[in-house]
Amino acid sequence: MTVRNDEALAVAPPRAIAALLGFAARIPWKRIGIVVGAYAACFVAFAAFSAWQGGNPLTLVQTMLNSSMLNGDALVQTLLRAVPIGFAALAAAIPARAGLVNVGGEGQLILGAVAATGTGLALGSQVPGPLALVATAAAGAIAGAVWAGISAAARVWLGTSESVTSLLMNFVANDIMLFLIYQPWKDPAGSGQPQSRPLPGSVRLGTLFGGQLNIAVFVLFAVAIGMWLVIRRTGWGFALRVVGGNPEAARRNGLPIKSLLLSSMLAGGALAGLGGALNLMGVEGQLQPGVTTTFGYIGFLACFLGRNDPIKATLAALLFSAIALSGNGLQLVEGLDGSIVNVLLGAIVLTMLAIGRKNGERI
Amino acid sequence: MPDQHHRTTTGSPPTPTLEVRELVKTFGTVRANDGISFTIMPGEVHALLGENGAGKSTLVKSLYGVHQPDSGQILRNGEPVTIHSPATARELGIGMVFQDMRLIPALTVWENVALHLSDTPFALRPRALRARITETSERYGLATHPGRKVEHLSIGEWQRVELVKVLLGGLDMLILDEPTSVLTPQEVSGLFDMVARLKSEGVAIVIITHKLREVRQIADKVTVLRGGRTILSDAPPATLSDDELITAMVGEPVAILEKRSTSAEHATAEPIIGLSGVSVRRVDGDWGLREVSLEVLPGQILGVAGVAGSGQDELSETLLGLRQPHSGTVMLDGAIVELPAVARMRKAGVIAVAPDPIRQFVVPGMSAAQHAALWNAAGSYSFDTRKADADLARRDAAGQLRVVAGSRRMDRLSGGNVQRALLTLALTSPCRVLVASYPTRGLDILTTERTRTLLKELCEAGSAVVLISEDLDELLTLSDRIAVLAGGRLTGIVPAAAADRRSIGELMTGKEAAA
Ligand SMILES: Nc1ncnc2c1ncn2[C@@H]1O[C@H](COP(=O)(O)OP(=O)(O)OP(=O)(O)O)[C@@H](O)[C@H]1O
Ligand SMILES: [Mg+2]
Repeated sequence: MTVRNDEALAVAPPRAIAALLGFAARIPWKRIGIVVGAYAACFVAFAAFSAWQGGNPLTLVQTMLNSSMLNGDALVQTLLRAVPIGFAALAAAIPARAGLVNVGGEGQLILGAVAATGTGLALGSQVPGPLALVATAAAGAIAGAVWAGISAAARVWLGTSESVTSLLMNFVANDIMLFLIYQPWKDPAGSGQPQSRPLPGSVRLGTLFGGQLNIAVFVLFAVAIGMWLVIRRTGWGFALRVVGGNPEAARRNGLPIKSLLLSSMLAGGALAGLGGALNLMGVEGQLQPGVTTTFGYIGFLACFLGRNDPIKATLAALLFSAIALSGNGLQLVEGLDGSIVNVLLGAIVLTMLAIGRKNGERI
Repeated sequence: MPDQHHRTTTGSPPTPTLEVRELVKTFGTVRANDGISFTIMPGEVHALLGENGAGKSTLVKSLYGVHQPDSGQILRNGEPVTIHSPATARELGIGMVFQDMRLIPALTVWENVALHLSDTPFALRPRALRARITETSERYGLATHPGRKVEHLSIGEWQRVELVKVLLGGLDMLILDEPTSVLTPQEVSGLFDMVARLKSEGVAIVIITHKLREVRQIADKVTVLRGGRTILSDAPPATLSDDELITAMVGEPVAILEKRSTSAEHATAEPIIGLSGVSVRRVDGDWGLREVSLEVLPGQILGVAGVAGSGQDELSETLLGLRQPHSGTVMLDGAIVELPAVARMRKAGVIAVAPDPIRQFVVPGMSAAQHAALWNAAGSYSFDTRKADADLARRDAAGQLRVVAGSRRMDRLSGGNVQRALLTLALTSPCRVLVASYPTRGLDILTTERTRTLLKELCEAGSAVVLISEDLDELLTLSDRIAVLAGGRLTGIVPAAAADRRSIGELMTGKEAAA
């Protein structure tokens, strides 16, 4: 008896045509149309809103592009800004595979920067350069992991929701940083400003190509591709997907659920911490109150827009970074309030939420 | 019950409640429905039959507005209609209970009902709604508890809530997708009483089932699908023999498995797993198992009977090492094991056919091959999907359960095809103990027989099988011994050769066997 299931029998046109047809059919044209249309609609709505606020909708796009991408300096700024946002996006993307919601990217970025400051200031002038550089970045990653690990541990052993705890811990992280720069770490030469001493040059990231660009951007891209591979190609990544997709199936297959949940959150926290450290070592140079300015939250939204896929989330982070920077142009050229771009950002996220669907079936 | 068919037959023939013409629905390259036509009359019970994956659920989902057909026509009371969404279907007076039921476990019964009703006012009036639920429940004999949380309900009550939810909306056509495959015999007869009641009110009922006995019992008409096409439309079942119906469904006659000849010669073998005095508490605090002692012997099929929720799931979870008993000991090969110990039991060769594959086996977004990789990894981190894909094909050749291709996404398969994939993995794995819960649930006739044969062969090869089932005939046909649970207690373990439906039935009601 060699009957295969009826399901396996698909209608079979001649081979060459079948290949072509199959390829064309595999491209989800309708879906692409919907997505492109949705983005266009967001821009139109945003242009209308800006016009109402007194901007010129015709020059709007030009201004936005000019101030975020179309000249070298603007592009570099966009790339630099994408570093903390992108790492925060990855910090949400990895735990999301295991079904965890890490809203703590902001706090993990901050603590990464805090730990990098402490380590950089302590080691910078004593340890040989490359070692100090690596140690400073690693300290940031470890601090981020520990901070995220607290939420994960509370989830695994106490059953508290990690989305709530990680969110609340953002405020705690911010308070820790403020305490440090107002009190023990305050720069004596800072003319009273609440800020740490500047990092010594040996733990700053050098600039590349004669501009302001530094290696952090390339680290971000490499890590994003690495995470994409880890999720797709390693047993750990596979196991995370099982736990995230159906914890009961994971349990019945004998997968160690607790350590998977913990490790995914630790990995996410480490990435955000690394992002915070690299941002500090590359751009900021010293700890000060606005060191993250909501990059953590924007990163979380980027992860959502990228559907928890490391590469897509990083690309979304680039987009958000560009949008955020285009606010400067709007402020300078169009005379609008720079934060108006948050309207566009919000519109995109909400629209994607509205057209998003899970399994192709709407009920 | 008076025959109400002819109420409307004064003069011209009555208009059909629903007529389907040449309906086509494809998913990518899968032609799930490929030109289906049939007619449903008012006050008629219309059975839809067909193999797993024949397209039954897809067809009724199109009628309920979940899917949009690619082509074809649906006529409602003679008028062509387009059913955009389930809400449109409900407006048209069509109700449906899905194969995989759709309540929200964290909410209570009445909250679930409120979500479903379109006329629920913005400010809920719980008391009025609960009264309506109680009224409808009583009218159709569907016992429910409006205040209970859905997650604590038995699957039978869960289904009754679905029915109440659907009936409250008011309807003249009800679609039931495999309602009986999850029910005990008693619950089935309750369901059929309700169907008779609705029928007498002139409601048309479409019911999907794999059981010919049920077709004979309640259907006025039968339509058979195979490979997405209608093989037989609107035929009165009385004019067809079982063999004719089976041949229409499967394309060939199917031999029914004969009763296993059992022997007691293995009774001297060392048990692989032994429970003594095991009690297990359920999540809601009640006792799941109370003081249960039994032995799982190699080369034997130990049947487990009982009405739903008598401790079957707790028993299987204990045997699999998933649960920590409240008291009592579990022995594996003569040594006490501390539970939970899933990985340890799995390494010792204890595997399972899970009682609820959708909730306990299917990982959304993953393919059949990935599920095979997960299965083969047996708790380790080495997943090799490509190897598992080839392995799945090899297992299919051995198991002959006609599993889908490894590339198919598991969460998009029909209910029966999920079960076949699970069975193919479980029944072709070398194992020492197989704990099979309701293995033939939702399977078509051919696959059911094949599964039973595989269980028999596994046992003949020396494995121990624990067969948990609600089908007494299945238990009597296959088992060496039958353990009966009632309210978490073991009321008896009887040799299958000496048992019959009646004696098992008595034990199931809680009467202890005379020791
Ligand atoms: N959303 C979907 N996406 C892709 N394929 C689907 C989808 N829903 C159903 N199918 C496919 O359509 C075919 C028919 O499935 P359907 O669920 O209608 O079968 P069925 O007759 O109800 O079987 P069963 O008795 O097992 O429930 C199957 O090949 C199934 O895998
Ligand atoms: Mg079905």
